[in-house]
Parts: sequence; C-alpha cells; structure tokens
Amino acid sequence: MGPEKMKEIITDVLKDVDVVIGYKQGFDKLHATPCFINKAEQIEEIIWSPVCVQNLASFLPSLKAKKVGVVVKGCDSRTIVQYMQEGLIDRSKVVVVGIPCTGVVSVKKVLDKVNHQPIEDVVFEADGAILVKTPAGETKLSLADVSPDKCSTCLYPTPVVYDHLAAEPIKSVKAPEDVYKDVEEFEGKSLEERKVYWEKEFDRCIRCYACRNACPMCVCQDSCIAESRDPHWISQKSNLSEKFMFHMIHSIHLAGRCVECGECERVCPMGIPVNALKKKLNHDMKALYNYEPGVNPEDKPPMYTFSVEEKKIEEHKL
Amino acid sequence: MSEIAPKELRIVGFLCNWCSYGGADTAGVSRFRQPTDLRIIRVPCSGRVDPLFIVKALLNGADGVLVSGCHPRDCHYTDGNFYARRRLEMLKQLLPYLGIDEKRFHYTWISASEGQRWQKTVTDFTNQIHKLGPLHSTTEAHSGS
Amino acid sequence: MRVGVFICHCGSNIAGTIDVAKVAAEMRKVPGVAFATNYMYTCSEPGQDEIKEAIKREKLNRIVVAACSPRMHELTFRRTIEKAGLNRYFLEMANIREHISWIGLDKEANTNKAIESVKMAVAKAMNNKPLYSQSFKVNKRVLVIGGGVAGMQAALDCADGGLEVILVEKSPSVGGMMARLDKTFPTIDCSICILGPKMVDVAQHDKIKLYAYSEVDDIKGYVGNYQIKIKKKATYVDWVKCTGCGACMEKCPAKNSYDHFNFGVAPTRAINIPFPQAIPKKAKIDPNYCRQFVKGKCGVCAKICPTGAINYEMQDEIITEDVGAIIVASGYGLVDMDKFPEYGAGRYPDVITGIQYERLLNASGPTEGHILRPSDKTEPKTVVFVSCAGSRDKSCGIPYCSNFCCMYIAKQAILTKDHIPDSQSYVFYMDIRSPGKGYDEFTRRAQEDYGAKYVRGRVSRIYPKGKKMVVVGADTLLGTQVEVEADLVVLATAVTAAPGAPQLAEKLHISYDTFGFYVEGHPKLRPVETNTAGVYLAGCAQGPKDIPASVGQGSAAASKVQALFSKDMLESDPAVAKVNENTCVGCLKCIMTCPFGAVKEKELRGGRIVANVIETVCAGCGVCTATCPCGAIQLSHFTDNQLLAEVNTICQK
Ligand SMILES: Cc1cc2nc3c(=O)[nH]c(=O)nc-3n(C[C@H](O)[C@H](O)[C@H](O)COP(=O)(O)OP(=O)(O)OC[C@H]3O[C@@H](n4cnc5c(N)ncnc54)[C@H](O)[C@@H]3O)c2cc1C
Ligand code: SF4
Ligand code: SF4
Ligand code: SF4
Ligand code: SF4
Repeated sequence: MGPEKMKEIITDVLKDVDVVIGYKQGFDKLHATPCFINKAEQIEEIIWSPVCVQNLASFLPSLKAKKVGVVVKGCDSRTIVQYMQEGLIDRSKVVVVGIPCTGVVSVKKVLDKVNHQPIEDVVFEADGAILVKTPAGETKLSLADVSPDKCSTCLYPTPVVYDHLAAEPIKSVKAPEDVYKDVEEFEGKSLEERKVYWEKEFDRCIRCYACRNACPMCVCQDSCIAESRDPHWISQKSNLSEKFMFHMIHSIHLAGRCVECGECERVCPMGIPVNALKKKLNHDMKALYNYEPGVNPEDKPPMYTFSVEEKKIEEHKL
Repeated sequence: MSEIAPKELRIVGFLCNWCSYGGADTAGVSRFRQPTDLRIIRVPCSGRVDPLFIVKALLNGADGVLVSGCHPRDCHYTDGNFYARRRLEMLKQLLPYLGIDEKRFHYTWISASEGQRWQKTVTDFTNQIHKLGPLHSTTEAHSGS
Repeated sequence: MRVGVFICHCGSNIAGTIDVAKVAAEMRKVPGVAFATNYMYTCSEPGQDEIKEAIKREKLNRIVVAACSPRMHELTFRRTIEKAGLNRYFLEMANIREHISWIGLDKEANTNKAIESVKMAVAKAMNNKPLYSQSFKVNKRVLVIGGGVAGMQAALDCADGGLEVILVEKSPSVGGMMARLDKTFPTIDCSICILGPKMVDVAQHDKIKLYAYSEVDDIKGYVGNYQIKIKKKATYVDWVKCTGCGACMEKCPAKNSYDHFNFGVAPTRAINIPFPQAIPKKAKIDPNYCRQFVKGKCGVCAKICPTGAINYEMQDEIITEDVGAIIVASGYGLVDMDKFPEYGAGRYPDVITGIQYERLLNASGPTEGHILRPSDKTEPKTVVFVSCAGSRDKSCGIPYCSNFCCMYIAKQAILTKDHIPDSQSYVFYMDIRSPGKGYDEFTRRAQEDYGAKYVRGRVSRIYPKGKKMVVVGADTLLGTQVEVEADLVVLATAVTAAPGAPQLAEKLHISYDTFGFYVEGHPKLRPVETNTAGVYLAGCAQGPKDIPASVGQGSAAASKVQALFSKDMLESDPAVAKVNENTCVGCLKCIMTCPFGAVKEKELRGGRIVANVIETVCAGCGVCTATCPCGAIQLSHFTDNQLLAEVNTICQK
C-alpha cells in the first residue's frame, strides 16, 4: 500500500485541524521519524511503510489544547481508545487517520541481520520481501523474520478507532489465545528461575528512563516518582533493588492500562524486555475483569473502579 | 538490623485504623498471644495502601507483608477496601511472576471486634513465612549491590 | 529536628514484659532523638506535665509517645503537646501495649519489637508537618433513626434542649417493641401506660418531625453537614386526610392479613391501624393482602372512608433533610422459630414466643388480655417457659446472652398466675441472670410468691400428645430427666440485630459485629459513640438491653449531640488530601476513585488543569494518594514519605 491515499486524506484533514502528525523519512531509509504538518506543502514529505514504527498517538495528550490529526496503525489506535477511557484527550478535537497494517519492522532485528552495516537503501517489494542495501551488498529479508514480537500476535491490524481509513480494513488472522502465550510459558518456569531472570534483566537497566519517556500511558513524565524526592520512593543509587523498584513502579502504574504498543521495549538501549511485566498484568486483568486496554472507549480501567461482588477474586486463606 | 532476634523474620503489616488496627487492639486487650515478628504500620484505610509499599518492603528486606482492612461493605470510607481488593489482588498475582512466592503476601479483612481472628491470622501468617524461610539470603547472591 | 521520646510503663502493663529503660536508652542513640525517657503513667497528669516540661526544657519539636493504642490516647497526647506550644500533629504514638506487651511473654523479643516500633514512630514523626483545622458551620438538626423507646427518648431529650429533630421510623407507628409489651419488669407497671405519653409527646413536640413508615435511603456528607434521603413508603392512605377513625378497618374484607404488630398471634385486616395507641394513628394498606392489589378489585375502604383518604395509586416518596448529627436507635429483632426443629420449628400452634405471649397478656391485644391457647382458645393451666431459645447457643450462631429474657420470663410467670390463679408455670433455665436493681428480688418473687417451678436444664424436645405439649428436658441439678405436659409453651427466643441492620450500617459508615449489632467507640468509655464522628447509638441496636438501659442510652446519645452542637462551628480534621499543583499532571485519576467526590478539577492561570481537594468533603481515606501515579495528591499525616519512613526503618537491606 502506497501513501497516496493517505496523502489525499491528510490534505483534506489539514483543512480543519491545527496540525497533522504523520511519518517522514529519518536519517536513513530504515528509520522513520514523526513529522508535524501544518502546511499543505509539507504533505509530500509523508511516508508510509513498515519502518513507520513509532506510536504517534503518544503526542496527543500534550497537544490537548489543539485540534490534531494523527496517523495511526492498528496497535497505535488502542492508545487513543485508552486516552478516551482515561479522559486524557478530547475525542472531538482529534481526527484519526487509520492505516490497516500488515506489520512493521524492528530496526534492531534488521540491523542484526545486516551486521550493523550502514543502510544505503531499503525497498519493500510487493510480495512482502525486503531488500536492504548496505556497503556489504544486498540482503533479502522477509517481514516475518524482522517484525517485532508484538506483530506476531496482533489482533487489531485495522485501527479500533478512526475517522478516515487509508486502505481496506484487514482482518486479524492471529489467534486471541496466542496473545498471552509468552506469559503463560514464562509461568511454567520455577519461582527461582523467574527471580533470577528478572534480577538479571533489571540489573542491566541504566535508568535512562527512555522506556518511560516513550510510553504513551506514562502520564506523569516530569513528575515521575522514580525521580522525585517528595515523595521519595527510590534513591538514585544504582543497585538492583532500586532498579527493580523502578520497573515495579512502571509496571504497577500501567496495570490494566498498557496498550502493548511495545514502545518501551523498542527504545530501551539495553534490550530489556520492559513490556513483559505489563503483558502479564494485562493477562491478569483480562482473566479477572475481562478487561482489555484500549479496545472499548466505554470501558473503565480496572484499577479505577470496582465491583462490590468481585466474581473472580477469591478470598485467600492462610 | 541488630534488634532482630535471629529466630524472627521480617514481617510488615499495614492495618486500617478503623477495623483491623482495632482488631489487633482487641486481641491485645484480650491478651491473645501472638508471635513477635510482625511490625505494624497504621493507615487510615486499606485503600491507602499503595501496592508499591508492599513491593518496596519485599525488595528491601521484608520476608512477608500482611495487609488487613475492613470487611467488604464495611469500609469506614465506603469503598476504600473495594479499590484495595483490586490493587492487592493485582499484586498477589504479579509477585509469583517476579519469582516471589505469593504466600509471602497476604491480604485479608478483619473487623475491630475480631480479636481472635486477628490472632489466628498473625499466627498462621507468621508460621507460613517461617516455613518459607528468609526471602533475601538468595537475593544477595545475584544482587549487584 | 529534636525528637522527644516518652516510653510509658503503664504500671506493669508494659514494663512487665518490655524493658522500658532499655528502649529509652536505645532511642537516645537514634539520630534526631534529643531526649528519651520512661515514665510510670505517661497519660497521668504528672506524666503529661513531664512531656510539657521536656518540650520547653529540651526544645523538642517532635514527640513520640510509646504507650497504649493511639485509638485510646492519641487525642490526649495531642492536646498535651499543643498546650506546650507544638502543633498537635507533631505527635506520633507507638503502640507497645496492645500490640506488644500484652500479646507476648518473651521480654527480650518484646523489647526488640518495641525498640523497632518506636524507631518507626520516630522516623514518621520526623516527617510530620504541622496541620491546621478549618472551621465550618454545624447544622444543628439531628436525625434519629428508629422510634422505639430509645429513639423516642433521644428525640425528646434533643427536642427539649431546643434542637430540631427528624425522627424516622420504619414501621407505621413509633413505640418499637415496648409498645407490644404488657407489663414491664421489675415493677409490673403497664408498658403502654408509661410509653403512651412519650409517644404523644413525640407526635406533638413542635421540634420533632416524625416520618413514620419511612426509611433512610441514602446518607451523604460528614459530621455537622449530612444530607439525608428519606424514603416515605406508600401507605395507600393519605395521612393528611386520614383521621384514624378506623371505619375502613372494620369493613375491609381481607380479614386474613398478617399482623406484624401482634407477631401473627391473630390475623388483621389488609387496611389497619396497628394498635389503638398508635402514633401516628393512621391507617395503612398492606398490598400483600389487599384485594384491590391482589385481585385487582375491591375498593371497599375507598367507599367507606369518610374523608376520601384512600389512594391505591400512591407511590413511595423521597424526601431530603439536612442534619448535623445522627442517632441510631433501630432496635433489635428476634430469631425465627424455624431455627428450632427440636421445638417443632413453629409448627405447633401452642408453642409460641415470648413476644407473642406479651400480646396474649395484653388487654389491647387480640385476646383482650385473656390468655388463650392459639390452638383451641382455652385457658392453659400448665405453662412452660423455655429460656435461651437460641441464646448462648453456638450451634445456633448466637453465642451471646440476650440480656433480658430471664427477667421477662419471671415477669410472664407472675402475670400468668395473676391471670389464671390455678395455673402452674415451669421455667427451664440455664442460669438466672438478674443483675439489675431489684431484679434478683423479682425473680425470687416469681418462685417464692407465685410458685413458678424453676428447672435448671435445657429442653431437648417438645412434641404434641393429645391436646398437650410434652416438654422433655434434663434437670441438671437433680441429674434426672424431666417431662412436663404443658398446655402452652413459651420460648424466650434470642435477640438478634434488627432486620437490615448491616445495610443501614453501610449507609452510616459505622461498624457492626458478626451478629449485626453496631460497634460502639469504646466498650467502656464511649458506649454511645461510634467511630464515625457525628453518629451515635442508643438502645438495642448496639446490643440486647432492657428498657431502663435503652432509655439511659437514648438520653446519653442526646447529651452527646447537645455537646456537639454547643458550638456553632466545628473544626475540620486537617488530615485530608492535598494536591501539589506543581507536580500534578492533571490526569484526574484521583477524581475517578475518590469515594466522596471530594476531588474536583481546577484550572490554573496558565490554563493548566490540576486536581483540587475540597477539604470539608475529604474524609481522609487516602484512596486518591494510592491512585495518583505521580504522588501529587498526598494524604496529610499519612503521606508516602511518612509511610515510607516507617517501611524504610524496618526494611533496609
Ligand atoms: C418478650 C419481651 C419482653 C420484654 N419485657 C421487658 C420488660 O418487661 N422490661 C424491660 O425493661 N424490657 C423488656 N423487654 C426488652 C425491651 O423490648 C427492649 O429493651 C426495648 O424495646 C429496646 O428499645 P429500643 O428502642 O432499643 O428498640 P426497639 O423497641 O426494637 O425499637 C426500635 C425501633 O426502630 C425501628 N427501626 C428498626 N430499623 C429501622 C430502620 N432501618 N429505620 C427506621 N426505623 C427502624 C423499629 O421499627 C422500632 O420501632 C422485653 C423484650 C421482649 C422480647
Ligand atoms: S508500557 Fe510499553 S507497551 Fe505498554 S503502553 Fe507503555 S510503552 Fe506501550
Ligand atoms: S529504557 Fe531500558 S535502560 Fe532505560 S530505564 Fe527503561 S529499561 Fe532501563
Ligand atoms: S491523580 Fe495525581 S496527577 Fe492525576 S490529577 Fe490527581 S493529583 Fe493530579
Ligand atoms: S483522601 Fe483522597 S480519596 Fe479520600 S476522601 Fe480525601 S480526596 Fe477523596
């Protein structure tokens, strides 16, 4: 799918919004970067291809005062629904340009395949193959090999909310029960194995906060309690318990809110599976309250509501 | 922690002022014997208990954490324990994923008149933690600190 | 920071199992602690003086008292330090009595635990901030729930003191259980003769607004300012027009309606005035029996009523009243007979309950005061009273004593002899509990002057034999089996909480025990207060008690309200949530979870949205604080940093 239809839509949308957020090419053909369009001449810069990985919906709360058009993939659209549930955006001031998506690439995976050579060109063939040119030559990859993990279980290739659709809707072919297969697999490990796993992972965290900054649902940003003294939850000491605590803050604050966009994991310079705990929490929210974040605007995030009789919570005995 | 007798383990309790703290008082007034491991933190409501307090305690030396509030529908603040129940259940299910035995964390509801129930809860929970042993001797081995 | 630590011996209560001197010595080593001492009775006047002097002498600015539960003496010590010039919230208490010295005998372990507990309190105190109350206006009207003798007494005492009273009674008339009694122990004076004038006073007092056949639907607000929604249930009779003439009742063809007032001793009409002295004396239709409702046609009462008061279309009505305090006097219930299969579970007509017997004795009851067996309307010559039917019976789920049954059984035995001189009463009892003034003499009179035969033992079975009921029991004093062939058996069925008591407690935010009785503020020192400011208890709602005790509590609760209302302004509790507008990101999650709607949106000058707490509405639960992801809304006195200080004291790797 080319970006032509999308450009047409955006030309239209631009007439009654202050700005449209889309993708343009980044520093090479493997990287896309957000572009903020407020003049018709900028529309030509717009691109759409599987390198458009970033979740552009994340910008919406900070632009609450403006009328904004935004280009979203299926996965990104859940962010908008979640914002609606939490009252973080005014839906009437957002125009959603949805793109049915067949999967994106993980830049990291591609770079691994081409041994981190400089990228000269990336071509997406009609049959789904990807040609990556580097000084070392041309490598042919298949999308499935270099997609981020989230794409392999994606249930919402077509945005769950949109005003315009840039192509024909796509039906998901993925099995819903596979979404949390990784969670269930991990649960098969012993307590000790799990503990060792997380301690090893979190010990590598350099507390750069890139994951938090990229997370569309981390509403606190500058007020994040991982960096404040009042309240003073964690010190700046670089030891395991403080790092672990940071990830617990991040995860627990996202309980039943994480839209599984995978941005946190994508941006982590240390390759830490930052999204994994949130997926586990989502898995539990689904089981306990039949709640799935970012799908139905009418839902209420489970941590901000309750039922007097909780059907699925059993009293714990000693 | 020099004060801690070697036979004791580190157990932290968060008790709501109106019901469970009162229940613990009732147990005291009735002279119901209890193990000495527990250290109690008084909070107005179980709804005040941020699950992160529990995580903080468990990551920093606690071997077990107990939270107790008013019985559902009996919250002094109407709904506080309903929120608490969701938050605490969330944590209860998350802990084993992190490799922390969920038995190290217990939450329950005890009213101000249930001194006996409080005694039983403290006794049983303390025994449970002793059965599990200390949480932290193993941690130290992997800790980078 | 200069913290002063005061460790109380509480005589030997604490010092007996905690080495208090060692605790004080350890505290002196804690950074920030400027002074630590131990004292025999810290709460005594010299003990409090010692604190005040030390504050001045040692220039202390945070105080930790390690003593009994803060639920006991926190207020005492807050006042103490306030007198010495410190903000009252600079006090922290460590509960080393109820939570340590009283529950363990190992002095070493106790001492260690006390040291840590006091350290936690010190750590928290160092984070305490001064807090200041706001004052707000009190609405000097009081709501009384329940128009039994306790509630009426409370209402009258409040009204006589000049307060406006809203009295809400669930049933069609005030009077409660006492209105059903015949005579009352220990003086055998006529119950309605002493109660009736009170009922009339309630009706006529210009300060009392009575809502009969009404219930409290919803309660919002806080001490001094409650908004009450009252549901006036449809009576299908316009009470403004009804004169209480009773013509409708005579003509009503639905003659087999259940008589709630008489506990079903005899049937009544679908439209009825519950009893001759009812207040208000108005008719009401029971739609479960009324032919107009059941069959869709009748209309007899509508035709007969001289004032045209009948209105089959009437709906429940919701009325709003604003009050500043609430007295709960919702009384008690009685356990169902079907709990007793061994006594026939209510299947034998001649096995009845004590309250039904009161109605048989009562001159205005269905038998006009003649004791007649329900089965064949003959006079019983042998009457057996069974005490503790359910009470003190764990298998029945009622381990407690119902308090007044022993006494009313004695009364009923005496009255039986008065009514039927050639009768013989038997009383099966477990113990005779008669500890009131003149009470023991009274139970003796029943035996000695009225010849009631008291048999100590439980009744194991009751079964019919011809026209008689055979009561089989054990005489535990003689160690023999006893069988009495009785004409009538009266069960002293156990007292339970009033139906719907837990639901009412939930609306009031007060606690109730396992049995549904409301929990008082302190079992000895605050018997008519609850732990919810502005809500008071009177009568059997708090636990079974007889009329004198119920009346006493009614007056006590009224005097508590008078004291509360003696000021025009009340001080708010400053331990409420506060928003840090610099760090609040306006995500408004706190608004979603606050159970009291105390948080509102606020726009700052730059247009930025933040949360804002309405101080008088905030109840101080801290649900918002645990919700806010960035710690911007903090519950004062229980802030994250204060609780973290406690956690960090005991959890440090
Ligand atoms: C058989 C028997 C004999 C007794 N004899 C004696 C005796 O001789 N001497 C003696 O001292 N005591 C006697 N008692 C005890 C006496 O009945 C009680 O002490 C007394 O009635 C208690 O008064 P109260 O106002 O607390 O409760 P109640 O009399 O129960 O009155 C409570 C009132 O509140 C109303 N109510 C309940 N729930 C609500 C609600 N949610 N909203 C609004 N209104 C509500 C009820 O309808 C009732 O009118 C006897 C009891 C029994 C069972
Ligand atoms: S936690 Fe990660 S996956 Fe979840 S919403 Fe935030 S960035 Fe996306
Ligand atoms: S991005 Fe990675 S390294 Fe940085 S704080 Fe997050 S998990 Fe740690
Ligand atoms: S939850 Fe916290 S950040 Fe969000 S509005 Fe409330 S106080 Fe502000
Ligand atoms: S503490 Fe917070 S949640 Fe509780 S009543 Fe006050 S504002 Fe509402």
